[in-house]
Amino acid sequence: MSPAELVREGFVEMREHLGRTVLQTLGVILGVASVVATLGMTAGQEAARDAYFRSSGGTLLMGVYSQPPAETELTARQRAQTGLKLSDAAEIRRTIPGFDQVVAEISGPHQVRAGATEMTERITAIEPEFQQMRDLEIARGRFFTSYDMATRAPVIVLGSTRARELFGTANPVGKAVSVDNVRYTVIGVMREKVFKWRENSSYNAYEWMNRLMMVPITSYEQRHMKAGDDKIDELNLRLASAESHDEAKKALERLLRARHGVVDYGIWDRKERLDQGEREGRIYNLTFLACGVISLLVGGIVITNIMLASFTERMREVGVRKALGATGPQVFLQFLVESLVVTVLGGTVGLALGIGFTWGITKLLMVQMALTPAMVSAAVGAAGIVGLIFGLYPAVRASRLDPAVALRYE
Amino acid sequence: MSGSLIELQSIQKVYGEGDLAVEALRGIDLSVERGQYVAIMGPSGSGKSTLMHILGLLDTPTGGSYRLDGEEVAALSRRRLAHLRSRSIGFIFQNFNLLPRASLLRNVELPLLYAGVGRGERRRRARAALELVGLLNRQRHRPNELSGGQRQRAAIARALVGEPAVVMADEPTGNLDQVTGLEILDIFDELHRSGQTLLVVTHDQGVATRAQRVVTLVDGLIQSERRAAA
Repeated sequence: MSPAELVREGFVEMREHLGRTVLQTLGVILGVASVVATLGMTAGQEAARDAYFRSSGGTLLMGVYSQPPAETELTARQRAQTGLKLSDAAEIRRTIPGFDQVVAEISGPHQVRAGATEMTERITAIEPEFQQMRDLEIARGRFFTSYDMATRAPVIVLGSTRARELFGTANPVGKAVSVDNVRYTVIGVMREKVFKWRENSSYNAYEWMNRLMMVPITSYEQRHMKAGDDKIDELNLRLASAESHDEAKKALERLLRARHGVVDYGIWDRKERLDQGEREGRIYNLTFLACGVISLLVGGIVITNIMLASFTERMREVGVRKALGATGPQVFLQFLVESLVVTVLGGTVGLALGIGFTWGITKLLMVQMALTPAMVSAAVGAAGIVGLIFGLYPAVRASRLDPAVALRYE
Repeated sequence: MSGSLIELQSIQKVYGEGDLAVEALRGIDLSVERGQYVAIMGPSGSGKSTLMHILGLLDTPTGGSYRLDGEEVAALSRRRLAHLRSRSIGFIFQNFNLLPRASLLRNVELPLLYAGVGRGERRRRARAALELVGLLNRQRHRPNELSGGQRQRAAIARALVGEPAVVMADEPTGNLDQVTGLEILDIFDELHRSGQTLLVVTHDQGVATRAQRVVTLVDGLIQSERRAAA
């Protein structure tokens, strides 16, 4: 008898036991769908965090900011010296090759006026490399350059929100802005930067960039600081590579301690935050994966339950078929066809359902989700194995029995 | 062709092991010639159903020799045994053992499926067998839509469809009322007249009066044998 005939027999058999087949398929569907949905949600969180870092300078950014130490630790001399200085930046540039960009930053609130519009907001005095460092894009005009730095040019670049606040819909480039009554010329406006952790959320994680008003740090020193005051508020650093992280950070701390004699600074570190996030994420992932595996198991148990519930019926059927001349392998093949169909059908529908569910959650909770081929194949593969094992077990047992034993089976 | 169709020598069957062992058959010698109609009788627990299962290759003896058409059964592979079940033996059960969800036509086709007969030929022969037992008009029905007598007739059609060397029936009238049982026995008579070898295990005295030979089993041994006058 040809295998094609046996396959046909398997299909006819399934049609004759439609309810049973549907329930088994449902078990696989639920299993796959839940695993896909679970994995999709987990990966979505990771994808969102990656996107956040990628669109604002990458994972190699580090920064030092002034932070007064606990008062009790200080001597009078130390207190007088507290703070980051422009010379710290120069020293880091000179001695720590692990950083390929060092950008000093001073910022503070000032009276800002453009025409009739007036506000008291923060001015950021910065070096030109900051633009590249933070992936800032120019919408109009240009960013300031090393030439502007050298000439201490009175030029200002506005974030999109500030440009709108000061000039409305008009083109600000070439217009004047006064900062504490010092006249600056607008030379550029940044493109609006947007990042939302949740779709449709009103919170823009990059809004602070849209509210920047940037001037060359040299221009600022000359016009807004006392002579000889070289205090800065922050140092923006970029690692030359991920591998240089540990060494560069240690060198940085050593250098600052040696120069300040006290820890009067704090360090933020994207790579460390990412690593920490990944550690936390791993637990989160495992929890979710466990949920997925459990649901897959439940699916498997559903299949087995249905198989076992019909075990007596199947045993008798196998007995009859063998009494009529079926061989063990022929019986096995028939059940294999059934299990394959259930698994493939269930896997496909479950996959569609899982993707649909993932998409639905994305819309409902407005969180990001992502599905990779690896995840999909893991879910379908696992369901396939579960379906086959649980589906074939009764078949294997039954096909080995003497017909008389199978027929007597109660 | 020489020799008996069926030849049993000191067939034994023991269930279980050690102290719990039960001897169902304790040494059966029996030979059946082609064309014979043999009834196997005996009280409950005498081992007649076990004997029938062994004869039908549904169960394996624990000792002794069984030659079917000259072939020693104990030496055969599972595959060869399955082959013989589909071609040499037509088995009829007390409780019919039809596939409950399959149509009569498909039930009757099954032995041919496993014998490797093509689809069209299968259809044709299954219909012929159903016509022989008067059920052609019910070929699309499922077993549970039929009476007990009709189901047993369908089972007979299934046993006959492969044109086996021997038809074996285990209490074929056991689940039927008397009138329906007689219908079945009439069919057996007809088969016998056409030269079909028939082995029937039964309680039914009616069968005993129709069979050529009546073998009586008690406690796993043949106690007596009666042959009808020719």
